[in-house]
Order: sequence, then structure tokens, then C-alpha cells
Amino acid sequence: MPGLTSTEDALSSGVRPSRRGRNLSRRLGAAFWFAVPFVALAITWAVVVEVTGVEARTFPQITDVVRAFGEMWTSGEYLRHTGASLRRVILGALIGILTAVPFGILLGSSRWASVFFAPLLRFSVALAGIAWIPLATLWLGFGERAVIFIVWNATFFALTYNAMLGVQRIPTQLLQAARSMGTSRPRMFVEVMLPGALPSIVTGLRVGLGYGWRGLVAAEIIATSAGLGYSIFLAQKFFRTDIIIVGMITIGLLWLVTDRALLAPLERRTVERWGMKAVIS
Amino acid sequence: MVRTFGPFVPVVLIWWVIAEAEVFPPDLFVGPGTVLAEFRELIAKGILPAYLSDSFTRLWTGVLFGLLIGIPAGFIVAMSRWARRLTWPLLLFFQAIADIAWLPIVIVWFGFSLTAVTFVIVYTIVFPLMISIVSGVEEVPKDLVRAARSLGAGRFRVFTDVIVPGALPAVATGIRTGLGYGWRALIAAEIIVGTSGIGFMMFDARRAGVVTGVFVGMIVLGILWYALDALILAPFERGTIERWGMVRTAEVGR
Repeated sequence: MPGLTSTEDALSSGVRPSRRGRNLSRRLGAAFWFAVPFVALAITWAVVVEVTGVEARTFPQITDVVRAFGEMWTSGEYLRHTGASLRRVILGALIGILTAVPFGILLGSSRWASVFFAPLLRFSVALAGIAWIPLATLWLGFGERAVIFIVWNATFFALTYNAMLGVQRIPTQLLQAARSMGTSRPRMFVEVMLPGALPSIVTGLRVGLGYGWRGLVAAEIIATSAGLGYSIFLAQKFFRTDIIIVGMITIGLLWLVTDRALLAPLERRTVERWGMKAVIS
Repeated sequence: MVRTFGPFVPVVLIWWVIAEAEVFPPDLFVGPGTVLAEFRELIAKGILPAYLSDSFTRLWTGVLFGLLIGIPAGFIVAMSRWARRLTWPLLLFFQAIADIAWLPIVIVWFGFSLTAVTFVIVYTIVFPLMISIVSGVEEVPKDLVRAARSLGAGRFRVFTDVIVPGALPAVATGIRTGLGYGWRALIAAEIIVGTSGIGFMMFDARRAGVVTGVFVGMIVLGILWYALDALILAPFERGTIERWGMVRTAEVGR
């Protein structure tokens, strides 16, 4: 809430209805207010295109987009491209998590290693993702492997770096307490460092996937013959703006769902569960 | 200095040994010596400076417009409840459409021109910046606002003297995030439809199968971005945080 108005809100709020009723109506209200801007946008879109009479090859009418979606859906194109993209993101991110998290925690658990690797990792994070596309296609050829490599690469460095920072932020007392009770190294790893670094790891995952998703779109345009990035770029060659917009909306929705329904709650939960303040990006 | 640059020395050394021992085929992996020679040649021919300045022109034009639009828009959305209600869901959605996905339609509209690239970079910067500003304004302690109000500050003064300075660290963070996406979008644009620029140089070398050119491009990019981030953006962010006494952890990896 903006500073000024909410100050007055706090001062003037008086009688309150029962909690359950308030929750339900608040939820409905939130959903309503979330939908209003999109409806307004759709109406503006339809009216502006109608009034200005802009050509479909420059900007499509909203009904064209819906029709294009229907056609792509029945021909199976839509699911083929979306599925290909999703598969690559999931595979790349999964390999990224499996390689980066243990590596990052390992680095974080040693003072010497973290001092040494911090600048190297920052350099690599700066470069991660799209800038690797020429090299990836040279090493792995045009195709599936190069795209997955890009997604992995984009998530790996951000995740490693944040996992390392996360371990360093664990209060020393916790580490000492666990150690003085005779915790073995593997148990320290799994029961103290991993949960302690989790909020930071999730933040790293959000940053990394943000790069990974962009890298995916770019890599698909260059290196493959399936996927959302490929489909919108192909459509551009034929001036099929309706297909481009179907692809863009899909890309937006997929990321919105991943981020809001998966990563953000995960971040909130780990922060609450482990009581550590995460680094907010 | 040693802490920041020291670790690169053994890495370059290991790189050199691996390349000398020809662990990987030399047409896929070259050593620091070859890269340095190519770097010198590209400088001498004037290719690298010309391409770099092309890339920089594109980046700065985009960043400039991005800041001019993003900062005022961010504060408007943060301060006005109605603006926030009406635009917040759209902000989230448009931020979610990866900037690179705009490239095809932008090319349809403008061709591959400075306008097209600028559009994409402005896009990458405006949304993270606005979202960051809104959360920054939210984090300004209410007590500060109340204190200023009770000392007789008008709304405008509260805005200029309390809200804006309090949200500065968020502005800095937003610029840093936005730029991180922005230059990636630039590289992607140059690779995909490029006619010049550092991304084009890399992909051109890749097309010719010359791995040395790709290596040079990546290293130049990495050094430039690292320098920009470590010497300008991070200190700016830290500076605003220290100056205004807001506690916030700045060194997120990006």
C-alpha cells in the first residue's frame, strides 16, 4: 500500500465485519480487481484496432488471435511447441538444481572456497544465459542439447552463487550448536546447511529461471525447429502477428504461473518455515 | 583488489594448460594466447571498437528512455491507489512476457532498427524498475511518514523528502535488475537479426566456425558487464542503502 493513503487508512478504519466473511469478500474483491485491468485492456485493444483499421499483418484484432489459438490447438501445433519448451525448461532447470545446489553449499561451507569463488561466480552470473548461445551451438550443434545447455547454464551460476551466500548467512550459533552436539558432516549438510540456505536458494532459482526462460526463447529461435520461441519467429517471417501474440501470451502466462504459483509461495514458505529473511531480488 | 581479481589468475592458468594439452579439439576450444592475439587483431582492424560502440549506443538509448519512463511511472503507481489497482496485474503480466518474445513483433513493426532494439530494452527496464519502486515505497517505514506529517510537512514534501529518498535503494536495485535483463536482450537481438554489434560479431564468428571470435566476444562482454556492475551499479546501490540507512541485502547474484 502506498505510504500516504495507508497511513490514513490505519487511522480511520473503524468497525470490522466477521473474519470469515471479510476473508471471502476480500478474496472475491481481489480476484475482481485482478480481472478488471485485463478486461479493460482487451476492450481497448478491440476498439482501437476497429477504429484505426490497422492491418492484420501489423497488429491483429483480438478475435483473430483467438481464432489463431483455436487453429493451433486443433492442429496440435500449440501443444507441440508449448510441450517442447516446457520440457526443455524443466529438464534444464532440474539439471541446474541438482548440480548447483550441492556445489554451492559445498563452496559456502568453506570460507576459503567462498572467498576464492565469489568473484568468479559473479563474473559467470553476469555472462550466464544468452551470451553462451554461439558457443553452445558450436559445441553441441543446433538442436535440443544446445537449448537445454543454455537453460542449465542460466540457472546454474545464479543458483550456485546464491546457495553459497545462503550458507554464509546461517547464524554461526546454529552451526556451532549442531557441531557441538556431535553432528556428522553429512548430517550438517542435509539438516543444517541445506534448510538454512533454502530461502536464498529459492531466490537464486527465481533469478536463474528468469534468465533461463529468456535464454530458452532466444535459443529456440536460433537452434531448433520446435518450441514457442521458434513458432513466434517463424510466424514473424510470414507476418502472422496473430500467431506471434498467441505465443507471447503463452510465454507470459507460463512464466506468471511458474513464478506466482510455484516460486513465490515456495520462497515465502521457506522464509516462514526456517525463519530466515531471504534476499529479495 | 587481490580478492576480486586474484582468483582469475589460476583460472586463466588452468585454461591455458587445458588448451595447450589439447584436452578438447582446438577448433572448439582455444587458449588465452590465441584469444589475446585475435583480440589485438580485432582492435587493430577497428572491428571490435566499431561494434562495441554500436552495442553501447543501442544499450544507452534504451536505458535512457527506460529510466525516463520507468521512474516516474513507478512512483505514480506506488503513490496512487487507483493507478495501482488498475495497473498492477498488467505490470505482473507484461513483466512475465519475456522481453525477447517481443522481438518478432517489434521487427514486424519497425524492421531491425535502433527503434526496434530500443523498444525491447526499454521494455526490459521499465517493468522490473516499476515493480521494484512500488515495493520500495511500501517499505518506507510508516513512522517516518507520520513523523514528517506531524511536523507539518505537506503531502508534496513528504513525497520529495521522505518517500523518494526512502525508495532510492529500490530504484537502484530495479535499475540493476533491469539492466541485467536489458543487455541480454540486446545480445539476443544482435544475434538473431544483427547487422552489427558485439552479439552479431560472436554469432558471425560462430557461423564461420571460428571459435576464437566467440571466445573474444564472451570475454569482452563478461569484463564489460562485470566492470559496470562492480564499479558503478553495486556501489550506487550500496551507497543509497548506506546513505538512507535502509537495511537491505544488496549482493543478490545476478
